[in-house]
Amino acid sequence: MDTAFRKIDIDIYDEDVLQESELYEPFPQDAAQALDEAKQRQSAVRSALAKGDVPGALSIALENAPYGPNVEDAKVLTLQTILTILNSTKSTEVSSVIKALSQDSQDALMKYLYKGMAMPGWGDISGSVLLGWHEKLTEIAGVGSIVRTMTDRRRV
Amino acid sequence: MPPSVFDLSQVPITAHSFNATRDQLAVSLNSNDAVVYARTGNEWTATETLAEHDKIITSIDWAPNSNRIVTASQDRNAYVWQQAPDALTGALVWKPTLVVLRINRAATHVRWSPKEDKFAVASGARAIAICSFDTENNWWVSKHLKKPIRSTVLSVDWHPNNVLLAAGSADMKARVFSAYIKEVDERPAPTVWGSKLPFNTVCGEYTSPNGGWVHAVGFSPSGDVLAFANHDSSISVVYPGGPIIHHIRISTLPLVTLTWTAEDTIIAAGHDCQPLAFSGNEGGWQLIGTLDDSKSSSAAKSGFNSPVGRLNSSAFNTFRDADTRGQMSPGGTGGSQDTKVLTVHQNTITSVRAYEWQGDRVAKVSTTGVDGNLVIWDSDEVSALTTSAGNGLAGRLGGMHIR
Repeated sequence: MDTAFRKIDIDIYDEDVLQESELYEPFPQDAAQALDEAKQRQSAVRSALAKGDVPGALSIALENAPYGPNVEDAKVLTLQTILTILNSTKSTEVSSVIKALSQDSQDALMKYLYKGMAMPGWGDISGSVLLGWHEKLTEIAGVGSIVRTMTDRRRV
Repeated sequence: MPPSVFDLSQVPITAHSFNATRDQLAVSLNSNDAVVYARTGNEWTATETLAEHDKIITSIDWAPNSNRIVTASQDRNAYVWQQAPDALTGALVWKPTLVVLRINRAATHVRWSPKEDKFAVASGARAIAICSFDTENNWWVSKHLKKPIRSTVLSVDWHPNNVLLAAGSADMKARVFSAYIKEVDERPAPTVWGSKLPFNTVCGEYTSPNGGWVHAVGFSPSGDVLAFANHDSSISVVYPGGPIIHHIRISTLPLVTLTWTAEDTIIAAGHDCQPLAFSGNEGGWQLIGTLDDSKSSSAAKSGFNSPVGRLNSSAFNTFRDADTRGQMSPGGTGGSQDTKVLTVHQNTITSVRAYEWQGDRVAKVSTTGVDGNLVIWDSDEVSALTTSAGNGLAGRLGGMHIR
Protein backbone atom coordinates (compact mmCIF):
# COMPACT_ATOMS: atom_id res chain seq x y z
CA MET A 1 0.00 0.00 0.00
CA ASP A 2 1.21 3.47 -0.77
CA THR A 3 1.90 5.24 2.49
CA ALA A 4 3.60 8.35 1.13
CA PHE A 5 0.48 10.37 1.90
CA ARG A 6 1.19 9.93 5.59
CA LYS A 7 4.26 12.13 5.24
CA ILE A 8 2.38 15.10 3.80
CA ASP A 9 2.54 18.03 6.20
CA ILE A 10 -1.16 18.84 6.30
CA ASP A 11 -0.59 21.61 8.82
CA ILE A 12 0.78 23.96 6.15
CA TYR A 13 -2.67 23.96 4.53
CA ASP A 14 -4.32 24.96 7.80
CA GLU A 15 -4.20 28.69 8.40
CA ASP A 16 -5.34 28.30 11.99
CA VAL A 17 -2.74 25.72 12.96
CA LEU A 18 -1.63 25.43 16.58
CA GLN A 19 1.89 26.82 16.89
CA GLU A 20 4.54 25.43 19.23
CA SER A 21 4.89 28.89 20.77
CA GLU A 22 1.25 28.85 21.90
CA LEU A 23 1.81 25.79 24.04
CA TYR A 24 3.92 27.37 26.77
CA GLU A 25 5.01 30.73 28.12
CA PRO A 26 8.25 31.86 26.45
CA PHE A 27 11.37 31.94 28.62
CA PRO A 28 11.38 35.45 30.16
CA GLN A 29 15.05 36.26 29.46
CA ASP A 30 16.91 36.77 26.20
CA ALA A 31 19.95 34.69 25.29
CA ALA A 32 22.60 37.03 26.76
CA GLN A 33 20.76 37.53 30.05
CA ALA A 34 20.17 33.80 30.41
CA LEU A 35 23.83 33.02 29.73
CA ASP A 36 24.93 35.63 32.28
CA GLU A 37 22.69 34.10 34.88
CA ALA A 38 23.87 30.59 34.05
CA LYS A 39 27.48 31.75 34.56
CA GLN A 40 26.59 33.32 37.88
CA ARG A 41 24.89 30.13 38.94
CA GLN A 42 27.93 28.14 37.88
CA SER A 43 30.22 30.12 40.17
CA ALA A 44 27.68 29.94 43.01
CA VAL A 45 27.57 26.19 42.52
CA ARG A 46 31.38 25.99 42.64
CA SER A 47 31.54 27.82 45.95
CA ALA A 48 28.74 25.66 47.39
CA LEU A 49 30.54 22.53 46.25
CA ALA A 50 33.77 23.79 47.81
CA LYS A 51 31.92 23.92 51.11
CA GLY A 52 30.65 20.39 50.49
CA ASP A 53 27.02 21.54 50.26
CA VAL A 54 25.81 19.26 47.46
CA PRO A 55 22.03 19.74 47.97
CA GLY A 56 22.57 23.50 48.06
CA ALA A 57 24.64 23.42 44.89
CA LEU A 58 22.08 21.31 43.09
CA SER A 59 19.19 23.56 44.18
CA ILE A 60 21.04 26.61 42.85
CA ALA A 61 21.78 24.90 39.54
CA LEU A 62 18.19 23.72 39.06
CA GLU A 63 16.60 27.04 39.92
CA ASN A 64 15.03 29.02 37.07
CA ALA A 65 16.21 26.46 34.51
CA PRO A 66 16.49 28.03 31.04
CA TYR A 67 14.16 26.48 28.45
CA GLY A 68 12.92 27.11 24.94
CA PRO A 69 14.59 27.52 21.57
CA ASN A 70 16.46 30.81 22.04
CA VAL A 71 18.79 30.19 24.97
CA GLU A 72 20.92 27.27 23.72
CA ASP A 73 24.18 28.52 25.29
CA ALA A 74 22.65 28.92 28.73
CA LYS A 75 21.05 25.49 28.45
CA VAL A 76 24.35 23.81 27.61
CA LEU A 77 26.19 25.58 30.41
CA THR A 78 23.49 24.68 32.96
CA LEU A 79 23.59 21.05 31.87
CA GLN A 80 27.39 21.00 32.26
CA THR A 81 27.11 22.53 35.72
CA ILE A 82 24.57 19.93 36.79
CA LEU A 83 26.52 17.03 35.32
CA THR A 84 29.59 18.19 37.28
CA ILE A 85 27.58 18.01 40.49
CA LEU A 86 26.11 14.61 39.64
CA ASN A 87 29.54 13.25 38.77
CA SER A 88 31.20 14.45 41.94
CA THR A 89 28.53 13.14 44.36
CA LYS A 90 29.22 9.85 46.13
CA SER A 91 26.65 7.22 45.21
CA THR A 92 25.86 6.65 48.89
CA GLU A 93 24.81 10.29 49.27
CA VAL A 94 22.53 10.46 46.24
CA SER A 95 19.31 9.59 48.09
CA SER A 96 19.79 12.15 50.85
CA VAL A 97 20.69 14.84 48.32
CA ILE A 98 17.52 14.17 46.31
CA LYS A 99 15.36 14.15 49.43
CA ALA A 100 16.66 17.61 50.33
CA LEU A 101 15.42 19.07 47.01
CA SER A 102 12.03 20.70 46.54
CA GLN A 103 9.47 18.98 44.30
CA ASP A 104 10.11 21.54 41.56
CA SER A 105 13.83 20.89 41.69
CA GLN A 106 13.28 17.13 41.62
CA ASP A 107 11.19 17.49 38.45
CA ALA A 108 13.84 19.75 36.93
CA LEU A 109 16.57 17.25 37.81
CA MET A 110 14.62 14.50 36.05
CA LYS A 111 14.58 16.67 32.90
CA TYR A 112 18.34 17.08 33.03
CA LEU A 113 18.90 13.35 33.59
CA TYR A 114 16.96 12.60 30.42
CA LYS A 115 18.74 15.38 28.56
CA GLY A 116 22.05 13.94 29.73
CA MET A 117 21.09 10.51 28.50
CA ALA A 118 20.05 11.97 25.15
CA MET A 119 23.47 13.56 24.57
CA PRO A 120 25.53 11.97 21.82
CA GLY A 121 28.03 9.72 23.60
CA TRP A 122 26.36 10.87 26.82
CA GLY A 123 28.58 13.93 26.97
CA ASP A 124 31.53 13.57 29.29
CA ILE A 125 29.67 11.58 31.92
CA SER A 126 29.43 7.85 32.41
CA GLY A 127 26.05 6.25 31.87
CA SER A 128 26.06 4.47 35.21
CA VAL A 129 26.13 7.80 37.06
CA LEU A 130 23.00 9.07 35.27
CA LEU A 131 21.24 5.73 35.65
CA GLY A 132 22.14 5.62 39.34
CA TRP A 133 20.64 9.07 39.88
CA HIS A 134 17.61 8.16 37.77
CA GLU A 135 16.95 5.06 39.87
CA LYS A 136 17.13 6.95 43.16
CA LEU A 137 15.12 9.89 41.87
CA THR A 138 12.36 7.59 40.59
CA GLU A 139 12.22 5.88 43.99
CA ILE A 140 11.70 9.22 45.72
CA ALA A 141 9.76 11.36 43.25
CA GLY A 142 7.84 8.51 41.59
CA VAL A 143 6.93 7.88 37.98
CA GLY A 144 4.85 11.06 38.17
CA SER A 145 8.09 12.97 37.81
CA ILE A 146 8.96 11.03 34.64
CA VAL A 147 5.48 11.77 33.27
CA ARG A 148 6.00 15.49 33.94
CA THR A 149 9.34 15.36 32.14
CA MET A 150 7.63 13.86 29.12
CA THR A 151 4.67 16.25 29.04
CA ASP A 152 6.50 19.48 29.78
CA ARG A 153 7.25 21.41 26.61
CA ARG A 154 9.55 23.79 28.42
CA ARG A 155 12.52 21.70 27.30
CA VAL A 156 15.72 22.37 29.19
CA MET B 1 -18.21 -1.96 53.12
CA PRO B 2 -15.88 -3.38 50.50
CA PRO B 3 -16.43 -2.04 46.99
CA SER B 4 -18.97 -3.91 44.83
CA VAL B 5 -17.39 -5.17 41.64
CA PHE B 6 -19.44 -6.03 38.56
CA ASP B 7 -17.69 -7.70 35.68
CA LEU B 8 -19.72 -6.22 32.83
CA SER B 9 -17.57 -7.14 29.87
CA GLN B 10 -14.26 -8.39 28.60
CA VAL B 11 -13.74 -5.24 26.54
CA PRO B 12 -13.10 -1.69 27.72
CA ILE B 13 -16.00 0.43 28.95
CA THR B 14 -15.64 3.88 27.39
CA ALA B 15 -18.42 5.59 29.32
CA HIS B 16 -21.12 4.82 31.84
CA SER B 17 -24.16 6.60 33.22
CA PHE B 18 -26.87 5.48 35.65
CA ASN B 19 -30.54 6.42 35.60
CA ALA B 20 -32.04 8.32 38.54
CA THR B 21 -33.00 5.23 40.55
CA ARG B 22 -29.68 3.48 39.86
CA ASP B 23 -31.41 0.28 38.67
CA GLN B 24 -30.50 0.89 35.05
CA LEU B 25 -27.18 1.68 33.47
CA ALA B 26 -26.13 2.82 30.01
CA VAL B 27 -22.61 1.91 28.92
CA SER B 28 -20.61 1.89 25.75
CA LEU B 29 -18.38 -1.15 25.36
CA ASN B 30 -15.83 0.50 23.08
CA SER B 31 -18.19 0.09 20.12
CA ASN B 32 -20.72 1.97 18.00
CA ASP B 33 -23.57 0.90 20.26
CA ALA B 34 -24.69 1.91 23.71
CA VAL B 35 -26.10 -0.87 25.86
CA VAL B 36 -28.73 -0.40 28.56
CA TYR B 37 -28.38 -2.80 31.50
CA ALA B 38 -30.99 -3.46 34.17
CA ARG B 39 -30.14 -4.59 37.66
CA THR B 40 -31.81 -7.61 39.24
CA GLY B 41 -30.32 -8.39 42.62
CA ASN B 42 -26.59 -8.42 42.11
CA GLU B 43 -26.70 -9.07 38.39
CA TRP B 44 -26.67 -6.62 35.51
CA THR B 45 -28.37 -7.89 32.36
CA ALA B 46 -28.37 -6.17 28.99
CA THR B 47 -31.90 -5.19 28.07
CA GLU B 48 -31.58 -2.96 25.04
CA THR B 49 -29.00 -1.85 22.51
CA LEU B 50 -29.00 1.73 21.29
CA ALA B 51 -27.67 1.40 17.74
CA GLU B 52 -27.53 4.48 15.56
CA HIS B 53 -23.97 5.80 15.63
CA ASP B 54 -21.59 4.54 12.97
CA LYS B 55 -18.37 5.14 14.87
CA ILE B 56 -17.28 4.49 18.44
CA ILE B 57 -19.32 6.16 21.18
CA THR B 58 -17.12 8.39 23.33
CA SER B 59 -19.48 9.56 26.04
CA ILE B 60 -22.92 8.93 27.53
CA ASP B 61 -25.03 10.94 29.93
CA TRP B 62 -28.39 9.95 31.37
CA ALA B 63 -30.57 12.87 32.53
CA PRO B 64 -32.05 11.76 35.86
CA ASN B 65 -35.26 13.82 35.85
CA SER B 66 -36.31 13.89 32.22
CA ASN B 67 -35.09 10.29 31.71
CA ARG B 68 -33.32 11.00 28.44
CA ILE B 69 -29.98 9.59 27.33
CA VAL B 70 -27.55 11.56 25.20
CA THR B 71 -24.71 9.81 23.37
CA ALA B 72 -21.74 11.40 21.60
CA SER B 73 -19.55 9.62 19.12
CA GLN B 74 -16.52 9.81 16.90
CA ASP B 75 -18.94 9.97 13.95
CA ARG B 76 -19.36 13.71 14.84
CA ASN B 77 -22.96 13.20 15.89
CA ALA B 78 -24.92 13.16 19.09
CA TYR B 79 -28.29 11.50 19.63
CA VAL B 80 -30.86 12.17 22.30
CA TRP B 81 -32.70 8.96 23.21
CA GLN B 82 -36.19 8.98 24.65
CA GLN B 83 -38.47 6.14 25.63
CA ALA B 84 -41.55 5.83 23.46
CA PRO B 85 -44.05 3.02 22.82
CA ASP B 86 -43.16 0.84 19.88
CA ALA B 87 -45.69 1.05 17.05
CA LEU B 88 -46.14 -2.72 16.81
CA THR B 89 -45.78 -4.12 20.32
CA GLY B 90 -46.59 -1.09 22.43
CA ALA B 91 -43.58 -1.80 24.63
CA LEU B 92 -41.38 1.14 25.65
CA VAL B 93 -38.26 1.38 23.51
CA TRP B 94 -35.53 3.99 23.22
CA LYS B 95 -35.93 6.20 20.14
CA PRO B 96 -33.10 8.42 18.87
CA THR B 97 -33.27 12.06 17.76
CA LEU B 98 -30.34 13.39 15.80
CA VAL B 99 -28.69 16.56 17.10
CA VAL B 100 -27.27 18.93 14.52
CA LEU B 101 -23.83 19.52 16.01
CA ARG B 102 -22.12 21.10 12.95
CA ILE B 103 -18.66 19.89 14.00
CA ASN B 104 -16.08 18.37 11.64
CA ARG B 105 -14.18 16.26 14.18
CA ALA B 106 -15.12 13.61 16.72
CA ALA B 107 -17.37 14.46 19.64
CA THR B 108 -15.43 13.60 22.78
CA HIS B 109 -17.60 14.25 25.81
CA VAL B 110 -21.20 15.10 26.58
CA ARG B 111 -23.03 16.31 29.71
CA TRP B 112 -26.61 17.42 30.42
CA SER B 113 -26.97 20.75 32.17
CA PRO B 114 -28.41 20.60 35.72
CA LYS B 115 -31.86 21.67 34.52
CA GLU B 116 -31.62 19.19 31.63
CA ASP B 117 -32.79 21.77 29.09
CA LYS B 118 -29.33 21.98 27.45
CA PHE B 119 -26.33 19.77 26.98
CA ALA B 120 -22.73 20.47 26.05
CA VAL B 121 -20.77 18.38 23.53
CA ALA B 122 -16.98 18.70 23.56
CA SER B 123 -15.21 17.94 20.32
CA GLY B 124 -11.96 17.66 18.44
CA ALA B 125 -13.04 20.60 16.26
CA ARG B 126 -11.70 23.05 18.90
CA ALA B 127 -15.26 23.80 19.82
CA ILE B 128 -17.96 22.97 22.32
CA ALA B 129 -21.47 22.65 20.96
CA ILE B 130 -24.11 23.91 23.39
CA CYS B 131 -27.33 22.21 22.37
CA SER B 132 -30.83 23.30 23.24
CA PHE B 133 -34.25 22.24 22.04
CA ASP B 134 -35.94 24.39 19.43
CA THR B 135 -39.65 23.79 20.06
CA GLU B 136 -40.76 25.55 16.89
CA ASN B 137 -38.82 23.24 14.61
CA ASN B 138 -38.94 20.30 16.99
CA TRP B 139 -35.22 19.55 16.92
CA TRP B 140 -32.01 20.08 18.89
CA VAL B 141 -29.94 23.02 17.69
CA SER B 142 -26.40 23.91 18.71
CA LYS B 143 -24.38 27.02 19.28
CA HIS B 144 -20.58 26.87 19.36
CA LEU B 145 -18.17 27.99 22.04
CA LYS B 146 -15.01 28.49 20.02
CA LYS B 147 -12.75 31.20 21.31
CA PRO B 148 -10.08 30.89 22.58
CA ILE B 149 -9.90 27.07 22.36
CA ARG B 150 -6.78 25.95 20.50
CA SER B 151 -7.10 22.18 20.55
CA THR B 152 -9.39 19.22 21.21
CA VAL B 153 -11.74 19.67 24.14
CA LEU B 154 -11.56 16.55 26.29
CA SER B 155 -14.17 17.15 28.98
CA VAL B 156 -16.92 19.50 30.12
CA ASP B 157 -18.76 20.07 33.38
CA TRP B 158 -21.75 22.29 34.20
CA HIS B 159 -21.97 24.83 36.99
CA PRO B 160 -25.08 24.31 39.18
CA ASN B 161 -26.49 27.62 37.85
CA ASN B 162 -27.10 25.97 34.44
CA VAL B 163 -25.16 28.73 32.62
CA LEU B 164 -21.45 28.38 33.32
CA LEU B 165 -19.51 25.54 31.75
CA ALA B 166 -15.99 24.30 32.53
CA ALA B 167 -13.96 22.72 29.77
CA GLY B 168 -10.62 20.89 29.80
CA SER B 169 -8.63 20.83 26.61
CA ALA B 170 -5.53 19.36 24.96
CA ASP B 171 -4.04 22.85 24.67
CA MET B 172 -3.17 22.38 28.38
CA LYS B 173 -5.82 24.74 29.62
CA ALA B 174 -8.97 24.50 31.69
CA ARG B 175 -11.48 27.26 30.99
CA VAL B 176 -14.75 28.49 32.38
CA PHE B 177 -17.21 29.73 29.76
CA SER B 178 -20.63 31.24 29.80
CA ALA B 179 -23.03 29.01 27.88
CA TYR B 180 -25.95 31.38 28.29
CA ILE B 181 -28.69 30.75 25.74
CA LYS B 182 -31.19 33.59 25.58
CA GLU B 183 -34.14 31.40 24.58
CA VAL B 184 -33.60 28.90 27.40
CA ASP B 185 -31.96 30.57 30.36
CA GLU B 186 -33.09 33.20 32.77
CA ARG B 187 -30.53 35.84 33.60
CA PRO B 188 -28.19 34.15 36.07
CA ALA B 189 -27.40 35.69 39.45
CA PRO B 190 -23.81 36.93 39.77
CA THR B 191 -21.34 34.28 40.90
CA VAL B 192 -17.68 34.28 41.89
CA TRP B 193 -16.95 33.68 38.20
CA GLY B 194 -18.53 36.94 37.03
CA SER B 195 -21.77 38.86 36.80
CA LYS B 196 -22.28 39.82 33.14
CA LEU B 197 -22.37 36.60 31.19
CA PRO B 198 -23.25 36.81 27.48
CA PHE B 199 -22.59 33.64 25.47
CA ASN B 200 -18.90 32.69 25.09
CA THR B 201 -17.66 34.97 27.88
CA VAL B 202 -14.39 33.46 29.14
CA CYS B 203 -14.65 33.70 32.92
CA GLY B 204 -11.36 32.01 33.64
CA GLU B 205 -8.42 30.33 31.95
CA TYR B 206 -5.98 28.15 33.91
CA THR B 207 -2.93 26.23 32.73
CA SER B 208 -1.73 22.84 33.90
CA PRO B 209 1.55 23.18 35.83
CA ASN B 210 3.81 21.03 33.64
CA GLY B 211 2.19 21.14 30.24
CA GLY B 212 -0.19 18.22 30.49
CA TRP B 213 -3.46 17.92 28.64
CA VAL B 214 -6.42 18.71 30.85
CA HIS B 215 -8.28 15.39 30.96
CA ALA B 216 -11.08 16.16 33.38
CA VAL B 217 -12.79 19.19 34.88
CA GLY B 218 -15.30 19.55 37.67
CA PHE B 219 -17.10 22.28 39.59
CA SER B 220 -17.46 21.82 43.33
CA PRO B 221 -21.05 21.22 44.56
CA SER B 222 -21.47 24.97 45.23
CA GLY B 223 -19.91 25.83 41.87
CA ASP B 224 -17.48 28.23 43.50
CA VAL B 225 -14.38 26.07 43.05
CA LEU B 226 -13.01 24.36 39.96
CA ALA B 227 -10.81 21.26 39.87
CA PHE B 228 -9.02 19.81 36.87
CA ALA B 229 -6.81 16.75 36.35
CA ASN B 230 -3.86 16.94 34.00
CA HIS B 231 -1.73 14.51 32.07
CA ASP B 232 1.39 15.73 33.90
CA SER B 233 0.31 13.66 36.94
CA SER B 234 -1.18 16.62 38.70
CA ILE B 235 -4.55 17.86 39.84
CA SER B 236 -5.31 21.56 40.21
CA VAL B 237 -7.91 23.32 42.33
CA VAL B 238 -8.89 26.90 41.51
CA TYR B 239 -10.52 29.47 43.78
CA PRO B 240 -11.38 32.25 41.31
CA GLY B 241 -11.30 35.17 43.73
CA GLY B 242 -7.51 35.70 43.84
CA PRO B 243 -7.26 33.56 41.85
CA ILE B 244 -5.72 31.02 44.24
CA ILE B 245 -4.61 27.90 42.40
CA HIS B 246 -3.34 24.80 44.17
CA HIS B 247 -1.41 22.31 42.06
CA ILE B 248 -0.97 18.89 43.65
CA ARG B 249 1.68 16.87 41.86
CA ILE B 250 1.37 13.17 42.53
CA SER B 251 4.08 10.52 42.29
CA THR B 252 2.03 8.10 40.22
CA LEU B 253 0.63 7.92 36.71
CA PRO B 254 -1.79 10.64 35.49
CA LEU B 255 -5.39 10.97 36.59
CA VAL B 256 -7.98 11.17 33.81
CA THR B 257 -11.30 11.54 35.59
CA LEU B 258 -12.56 13.22 38.75
CA THR B 259 -15.69 13.97 40.72
CA TRP B 260 -16.33 16.15 43.77
CA THR B 261 -17.89 14.33 46.71
CA ALA B 262 -18.23 17.39 48.93
CA GLU B 263 -17.05 20.98 49.00
CA ASP B 264 -13.75 19.80 50.50
CA THR B 265 -13.12 16.41 48.85
CA ILE B 266 -12.44 15.13 45.36
CA ILE B 267 -12.19 11.54 44.12
CA ALA B 268 -9.98 11.18 41.05
CA ALA B 269 -8.75 8.14 39.14
CA GLY B 270 -6.81 7.24 36.05
CA HIS B 271 -3.87 5.24 34.77
CA ASP B 272 -2.89 4.07 38.24
CA CYS B 273 -6.08 1.92 38.37
CA GLN B 274 -7.23 3.12 41.80
CA PRO B 275 -9.46 6.01 42.91
CA LEU B 276 -7.53 8.54 44.97
CA ALA B 277 -9.08 10.93 47.48
CA PHE B 278 -7.98 14.57 47.76
CA SER B 279 -9.02 16.91 50.50
CA GLY B 280 -8.50 20.56 51.28
CA ASN B 281 -9.81 24.10 51.35
CA GLU B 282 -8.76 27.52 50.15
CA GLY B 283 -5.60 27.27 52.27
CA GLY B 284 -4.30 24.13 50.60
CA TRP B 285 -5.07 20.71 49.19
CA GLN B 286 -3.45 17.32 49.56
CA LEU B 287 -3.74 13.69 48.59
CA ILE B 288 -5.21 11.88 51.59
CA GLY B 289 -5.44 8.30 50.41
CA THR B 290 -6.99 5.69 48.19
CA LEU B 291 -10.41 4.04 48.11
CA ASP B 292 -8.68 0.86 46.98
CA ASP B 293 -7.63 -0.81 50.20
CA SER B 294 -5.80 -3.53 48.35
CA LYS B 295 -5.70 -5.78 51.40
CA SER B 296 -9.41 -6.40 51.03
CA SER B 297 -9.28 -7.30 47.37
CA SER B 298 -8.75 -10.88 46.42
CA ALA B 299 -5.89 -9.93 44.17
CA ALA B 300 -3.95 -8.81 47.17
CA LYS B 301 -3.26 -12.31 48.33
CA SER B 302 -1.15 -13.16 45.35
CA GLY B 303 2.27 -11.64 45.39
CA PHE B 304 1.26 -8.59 47.37
CA ASN B 305 4.53 -8.67 49.23
CA SER B 306 6.65 -9.34 46.22
CA PRO B 307 9.36 -6.73 45.86
CA VAL B 308 8.10 -5.60 42.50
CA GLY B 309 4.52 -5.20 43.70
CA ARG B 310 2.15 -4.50 40.89
CA LEU B 311 4.92 -4.86 38.38
CA ASN B 312 4.85 -8.58 39.09
CA SER B 313 3.23 -9.25 35.76
CA SER B 314 4.20 -11.76 33.15
CA ALA B 315 5.45 -9.03 30.84
CA PHE B 316 7.66 -7.67 33.58
CA ASN B 317 8.95 -11.13 34.46
CA THR B 318 9.73 -11.92 30.86
CA PHE B 319 11.93 -8.87 30.65
CA ARG B 320 13.50 -9.52 34.02
CA ASP B 321 14.33 -13.11 33.15
CA ALA B 322 15.77 -12.07 29.85
CA ASP B 323 17.80 -9.40 31.57
CA THR B 324 19.14 -11.13 34.66
CA ARG B 325 19.17 -14.80 33.65
CA GLY B 326 19.37 -14.63 29.90
CA GLN B 327 16.18 -16.70 29.64
CA MET B 328 13.88 -16.13 26.74
CA SER B 329 10.50 -17.76 26.91
CA PRO B 330 7.23 -16.40 25.64
CA GLY B 331 4.78 -15.29 28.30
CA GLY B 332 6.97 -15.38 31.38
CA THR B 333 8.41 -18.32 33.25
CA GLY B 334 7.66 -20.73 36.05
CA GLY B 335 4.91 -19.88 38.47
CA SER B 336 4.76 -16.23 37.45
CA GLN B 337 1.78 -16.58 35.14
CA ASP B 338 -0.30 -14.38 37.41
CA THR B 339 -1.27 -11.34 35.39
CA LYS B 340 -3.50 -9.77 38.03
CA VAL B 341 -2.61 -6.31 39.18
CA LEU B 342 -3.02 -5.55 42.85
CA THR B 343 -5.91 -3.14 42.55
CA VAL B 344 -9.63 -3.80 42.21
CA HIS B 345 -9.66 -2.35 38.71
CA GLN B 346 -7.35 -4.32 36.49
CA ASN B 347 -6.64 -1.46 34.10
CA THR B 348 -6.99 2.30 33.65
CA ILE B 349 -10.10 3.85 35.18
CA THR B 350 -11.67 6.10 32.55
CA SER B 351 -14.73 7.40 34.35
CA VAL B 352 -15.66 8.15 37.95
CA ARG B 353 -19.15 9.49 38.74
CA ALA B 354 -21.27 10.25 41.79
CA TYR B 355 -23.52 7.28 42.60
CA GLU B 356 -25.31 7.92 45.88
CA TRP B 357 -25.85 10.99 48.05
CA GLN B 358 -26.24 11.29 51.79
CA GLY B 359 -27.46 14.80 52.48
CA ASP B 360 -25.24 16.99 50.34
CA ARG B 361 -22.27 14.60 50.42
CA VAL B 362 -21.66 11.96 47.81
CA ALA B 363 -21.54 8.74 49.81
CA LYS B 364 -20.76 6.40 46.93
CA VAL B 365 -19.03 6.77 43.57
CA SER B 366 -19.02 4.46 40.57
CA THR B 367 -16.05 3.80 38.30
CA THR B 368 -15.59 2.02 35.00
CA GLY B 369 -12.45 1.37 33.08
CA VAL B 370 -10.50 -0.37 30.39
CA ASP B 371 -10.81 -3.69 32.25
CA GLY B 372 -14.57 -3.83 31.59
CA ASN B 373 -15.47 -3.67 35.28
CA LEU B 374 -17.99 -1.46 37.04
CA VAL B 375 -17.10 -0.80 40.68
CA ILE B 376 -19.14 1.05 43.29
CA TRP B 377 -17.05 2.49 46.12
CA ASP B 378 -17.84 3.94 49.51
CA SER B 379 -16.34 7.40 49.12
CA ASP B 380 -15.62 7.83 52.83
CA GLU B 381 -13.58 4.65 53.16
CA VAL B 382 -10.25 6.24 52.46
CA SER B 383 -7.22 4.25 53.49
CA ALA B 384 -3.83 5.83 53.77
CA LEU B 385 -1.36 5.15 51.05
CA THR B 386 1.24 2.66 52.17
CA THR B 387 4.58 2.32 50.51
CA SER B 388 3.90 -1.00 48.88
CA ALA B 389 0.24 -0.60 47.98
CA GLY B 390 -0.29 3.08 47.54
CA ASN B 391 2.40 5.60 46.83
CA GLY B 392 1.89 4.25 43.39
CA LEU B 393 4.60 2.85 41.29
CA ALA B 394 7.19 4.85 43.17
CA GLY B 395 6.92 2.48 46.08
CA ARG B 396 6.66 -0.49 43.82
CA LEU B 397 9.66 0.49 41.83
CA GLY B 398 11.49 0.75 45.12
CA GLY B 399 12.31 -2.91 45.12
CA MET B 400 13.23 -3.05 41.48
CA HIS B 401 16.95 -2.68 41.18
CA ILE B 402 18.61 -2.30 37.87
CA ARG B 403 21.66 -4.49 38.07
